[in-house]
Amino acid sequence: MMRHSVFAKSIQDRWRGMFIASVALSVSFLFGMAVYKDIDISFYNDFPEAMQAMMGISEGAGVGSLAYGAIYGVYGALVLAVMALMAGAGSIAGEERNGTLGLLLGNPKSRSHLLISKTTALLLLLVLAIVVMGIAGRIVPVLLGVEVGGMETESLMLHLLINSIFYGMLATAIGAWTGNSGLASGVSAGVMIVGLLGSGLLPLVSGAEDFAKIFPWYYFDGSQPAVNGVDWGHIAVLAGASGLFFVVALFGVNRRDMKAQAVGLTLVDRLRANPLTQKVVERVPGTAKVSHIWVKTASEYQMLLIAAGYYMFLVGGVAMGPIYTAIDDTLLTLADQLPDTLMALAGGGDISTPEGYYSVETFGMMGPIIFLMITVTIGSRALAGEESKRTMGLLLANPISRRRVVIEKMAAMVVLTSVMGLLTFAGTLIGSLIGGLGMATENIAAVSLQVTLIGLTFGALALAISAATGQVKLAVFGSVGPALIFYLMNAFLPLSDSLAGYAKLSVFHYYSGGDPLVNGLNLGHAALLAGLTVVLVVAAVGLFDRRDLRQS
Amino acid sequence: MPNKAAILTKDLTKHYGEVRALTDLNLTVQKDEVFGFLGPNGAGKTTAIRTLLDEIRPTAGQASIVGLDTHDKSVEIRRHIGYLPGDLALYPGLTGKDLLSYFANLRGGVDWSYVDLLAERLNADLSKKVGNLSSGNRQKIGLIQAFMSRPEVLIMDEPSTGLDPLVQREFQTILRELVAEGNTVFLSSHTLSEVQRVADRVGIIRNGKLITVETVSSLRSKAMRKVEFEFGSDADSSVFEGVAGVSNVAIEGRRIVLSFDGTMDVLLKAAMDHHDTVVDITTHEADLEDIFLTYYIDQSDEAGPAS
Repeated sequence: MMRHSVFAKSIQDRWRGMFIASVALSVSFLFGMAVYKDIDISFYNDFPEAMQAMMGISEGAGVGSLAYGAIYGVYGALVLAVMALMAGAGSIAGEERNGTLGLLLGNPKSRSHLLISKTTALLLLLVLAIVVMGIAGRIVPVLLGVEVGGMETESLMLHLLINSIFYGMLATAIGAWTGNSGLASGVSAGVMIVGLLGSGLLPLVSGAEDFAKIFPWYYFDGSQPAVNGVDWGHIAVLAGASGLFFVVALFGVNRRDMKAQAVGLTLVDRLRANPLTQKVVERVPGTAKVSHIWVKTASEYQMLLIAAGYYMFLVGGVAMGPIYTAIDDTLLTLADQLPDTLMALAGGGDISTPEGYYSVETFGMMGPIIFLMITVTIGSRALAGEESKRTMGLLLANPISRRRVVIEKMAAMVVLTSVMGLLTFAGTLIGSLIGGLGMATENIAAVSLQVTLIGLTFGALALAISAATGQVKLAVFGSVGPALIFYLMNAFLPLSDSLAGYAKLSVFHYYSGGDPLVNGLNLGHAALLAGLTVVLVVAAVGLFDRRDLRQS
Repeated sequence: MPNKAAILTKDLTKHYGEVRALTDLNLTVQKDEVFGFLGPNGAGKTTAIRTLLDEIRPTAGQASIVGLDTHDKSVEIRRHIGYLPGDLALYPGLTGKDLLSYFANLRGGVDWSYVDLLAERLNADLSKKVGNLSSGNRQKIGLIQAFMSRPEVLIMDEPSTGLDPLVQREFQTILRELVAEGNTVFLSSHTLSEVQRVADRVGIIRNGKLITVETVSSLRSKAMRKVEFEFGSDADSSVFEGVAGVSNVAIEGRRIVLSFDGTMDVLLKAAMDHHDTVVDITTHEADLEDIFLTYYIDQSDEAGPAS
């Protein structure tokens, strides 16, 4: 009976992901607080206010505020916002992409009803995730015996909730207007990332503090809700905008023609449609893109490559140089006060140096996230995607072995990720030149290679799970989950003297542990990541070869 | 004999846990014949075909195509076959031409002028993105894809899905031509009439078990039909008395409706002999269930009631 409503089905489709995310964040919270409890954290109090704000730490930080700020305030907020925007982007546009919207609207339910049901389901799931995290936020300090008096857990949770709703509604609105779920999630994620960086970085530049207010992220943590309680004004801004987006979505979905099954237009398609360019294009890329499995696979992710490549080249690479020069002084005064333990958290290196700065901003969290986004997307869909879209049977009706399919799909991943690596290298080099930072070219090459390799490692993991199970979702969760845990292990374990050694168990240790931008390439680390990738691909071949293909 | 067969299965069995999708399938498809694989939805047709393609692996038994084991030699086999999956899904972002080029590149040795000819005969639009085509037009791309390498063995799962009658006829003509060139066709269907039109022999499958293999002509003569006569005057109840194969006679004024199992000849003669004018005759093909019923009755006659 429950299945009969759009609302119930939306809950059913999405609750697992949301539940896993909230539990993972709760466990990370436990993990983070345990580490903070174990170390001397007094040094944090010496940071300038802006620096603390960027790291999600409140002034006068105790163990509690560090854990709440770093785990919930940064990772939690990011993860929830991404979950929300994915669900929002999929709500109308996703059904169009899958060709199921027509079926759904064949029932006596209006488009508005559909949108409202799906949105209500999303809101409920977000509330549930927040409740799980909130309960963990209350229980964990008691379990660990940490004093968190004065922490406004519920206020932070409310800010987290409204913040994630904001991105969910933004994506819903774009998806409802355009019917393009990729565009909806891409633009919303872009707004989120630019906002996160902008609201974090601008306060560090004197005179630019107020510009931070143009970014939505400012209204999430600008008021430091974990310490200062709910800022109802900020909540009103985000809630008001969310409401507005929802109204826009309602308009949008009722206004336009629904797509039967969305077929994206690529650049090549547009050139083909143009009589001026038609002949040339027909001859070259039209046939080239279907010449091999790997070329076709690579061509399917061109938009992702353009978006991610643009970000790594321009924002992560080129722009960081001049930005560094602009905020250089502020950081320098800070540098002496930073203890070694913090550097481990930040991704290694001295943040007052250009190398350290790039290591944190470009290669600390964002680089791996973007590279993994590409590799995990390809890895998880390479095999399981063709199976769930029922094209694998047709593909394998050709005289090609399953092994070749796996290897060509992996080749596509390697090619695209290598292009990303080159763009990252070129962007960072140019950023270094423009900013006059004088970073060693071979070290820039080293860190670019490392970020490529860490991406490939987890992409290969996704590929192996995809090969073993044929399930896209499982492959995504099964590779992103461990990646998150390894990342946090590598970030937090070194803070504790007694636990530091265990960081070597984290795959991420072999990405950034050797500080490639400072020390150059650590061949052992690179070889380990490459070796792991090869092992996983070999496993993928074996696993894919021995099982039944799924029918749908 | 085994080497001569285009497709040979021996005790082919596929179970998914408790679900017995296919049980002990023994089938021999000869070279240059069209073999129809007939059964209702969920009978195990697709399971059998997917096993032949090595998409799924049998729980027990084995199969060979042109004498090669379907698992050990699956890649080699696929050089010899063309395949059209049931419930066809294609890459929506590719045009028909791109899609065919893709598979032609993977396969090698495809004669593109033949592709153009097929597209023309089936009236397929290769310039549009597959995702923007109607399901019938998409099916045409799938058919061309299966035909284009002029395969020795064609395996098609419900090939006529979505095709209009005109295209269906052209499709059947192409099938016939391929068989005349010495190739083999194995196609599944859930409609008797389709199989009867194209196939030489028919295997009937239900609940994962092969019930019988018959030539189409013997199936046709065996097949029960519903026949409706309309006469110029009130029907005489004695008209079909004693005619072999007639049962369930019902009389309504000038009309007689009956079930018939045999050659039409006998029935027509009886009608002509006893009545002045036969105004109209309508025959309905017995549906699949009727045929199954016939075979079940046959089986239980021989071996007692089915379990």
